[in-house]
Amino acid sequence: MSADVMIKVENMSFYYGDFKALNNINLDFLKNHVTALIGPSGCGKSTFLRCLNRMNDLIPDTKVEGRILFGDVDIYDPKIDVVELRKRIGMVFQKPNPFPKTIYENIAYAPRIHGIVNKGPQMDDLVEESLRKAGLWDEVKNRLTEVATNLSGGQQQRLCIARAIAMQPDILLMDEPASALDPIATQKIEDLIFELKKRYTIIIVTHSMQQAARVSDYTAFFYMGDLIEVGVTQEIFTQPAKKQTEDYITGRFG
Amino acid sequence: MSSLIESSQANRKRYKAEKRFKFYGFFALLLSMGFLIFFLTDIVIRGYTAFRQAEIKAEISYSKETVEIPPLAVNEEARDFASRGFVRMIPLQVENNPELMGDTVVQWIVANDDVDQYIKGKPNGLSDSEKQKIDKLKKEGKIKLSFNEHFFINGDSKLPEISGIFSAAVGTIYVIILTVLFSVPIGVMSAIYLEEYAPDNMFTRAIEVNINNLAAIPSILFGLLGLAVFINFFGVPRSSSLAGGLTLSLMTLPVIIISTRASLQAVPDSIRHGALAVGASKWQMIWHHILPVSVPGILTGTILGVARAMGETAPLLLVGMMAYIPEVPNSFTDAATVLPAQIYTWASASQRAYVERTAAAIIVLLAVLLTLNAVAIWLRNKNEKKW
Repeated sequence: MSADVMIKVENMSFYYGDFKALNNINLDFLKNHVTALIGPSGCGKSTFLRCLNRMNDLIPDTKVEGRILFGDVDIYDPKIDVVELRKRIGMVFQKPNPFPKTIYENIAYAPRIHGIVNKGPQMDDLVEESLRKAGLWDEVKNRLTEVATNLSGGQQQRLCIARAIAMQPDILLMDEPASALDPIATQKIEDLIFELKKRYTIIIVTHSMQQAARVSDYTAFFYMGDLIEVGVTQEIFTQPAKKQTEDYITGRFG
Repeated sequence: MSSLIESSQANRKRYKAEKRFKFYGFFALLLSMGFLIFFLTDIVIRGYTAFRQAEIKAEISYSKETVEIPPLAVNEEARDFASRGFVRMIPLQVENNPELMGDTVVQWIVANDDVDQYIKGKPNGLSDSEKQKIDKLKKEGKIKLSFNEHFFINGDSKLPEISGIFSAAVGTIYVIILTVLFSVPIGVMSAIYLEEYAPDNMFTRAIEVNINNLAAIPSILFGLLGLAVFINFFGVPRSSSLAGGLTLSLMTLPVIIISTRASLQAVPDSIRHGALAVGASKWQMIWHHILPVSVPGILTGTILGVARAMGETAPLLLVGMMAYIPEVPNSFTDAATVLPAQIYTWASASQRAYVERTAAAIIVLLAVLLTLNAVAIWLRNKNEKKW
């Protein structure tokens, strides 16, 4: 692993109340690579993903131990500005959740509140660029003032990706971004991930092992709150080191 | 195996029970519709006549003598039937227009309430000879019914023929403005705090239960509270729109808090997560994303709460707004009364002519309330869920 480490997770455990949902995780995410998190339902992979931009803060009575280093700062340091953190680590959710506003406003919102771009032609350019990167521009360029919730599910999800990249983050977190979409829309999202990794570090949670195999460079397998195995995707899928990983990817459980 | 064509005994019983059940529901609906229609028809039949008022063609002579003794100004034929409300204004008329002195003017003037009621075929206090005189005047075309503008431009009066709802309507507008001004910002902010910020602990839950109970307590208790707090403690002038508005705000507050919370809850968490994930602060999330989509719900709740406050009498009884207040209030601290209070005052007055005016005031109040409710429904439908 020669590339730069973008996020370094060290001895991280996570609790919902008394329940330990993640157990002593150690994991590195490399710059401009796609890392897939796989594992059966309830294994903690989504919880882990939401720790990375501190979305778990919203859930009362949770606790994090260990460190998550982003660059050289611990994102759970009390002095961290969570707003700034979430600006640098964008997130795409399982269910497309565009704002009930216009397509244009969906993209323009984050850059405006962060003061990246305020308005006018610069904003128009940024909106166009973000939509182009998300492969949505040609479909929506004539309907930017329409309410975003009128778009199809697949288009909404690409809009959410465009919304995330409009604030020019370093990292994109994707929580099963294609699970609510049909195969054609899924295909488009996967192609998009392939394009996006040139610019961004991507961490994707997925239920579909085929998807993990298709889009990711590295794969991490979670089981019952433990990180069982992590490695180059091809190796994980062809010659896993652990029996549990092999059982899961060959479909013996999960 | 049982036949598909012929229902079994048990099935036939089930169908019968279902038919009965359906009929009970239909009957209940019919009954409530019946009461409603009966009430509305009754009010309209009693009230519509108040929108017309008897007038009498009279010769008014302005002279020194008639300024001294105003009834003499009206020609003898019409004198007994003219409203005192007109006659007593004659000296003032001359004072304002001195050139009238020495003139004799023929004009339509307001007739008194007995004439009005007699013309409308309602019970009245006239003797037979008076009735004959009126019949004669009517035949000569000197008595007619015309649009009753007094009802809309005058305040209350001890003379039914010139009494109107204007001062009560202005009072109602003042009170409602103040109620909205006090209860909406406080209610909406409380709801936002409870829904978006407050931790889920015993204290919050206790407050929640209390708010829900407050919405259900008898309104007269709010009147007692308003009397004790606003008038006795803070020294707000009694009978004023300010005292009434503050008291009704107390009553409306829980309704607004509950409906605002409900509409905030209806906003899916995915919108909150989306906003936070792009780095919006909590305040930005609420202000930019949650409030805009919950505005229709908040407005609906507010309008329904205000509509209820508008029809309320009991709390106002205790802050002194249920009184004979004929003057139109000029400020929030002037003594004022409200439409429901006006209805109550007229309903308990002795003259027969107030009966139709009571019903007419009810028609006006119902029309305003129906309009408010229609606006609430329109707002709700206009901004149906967008996500």
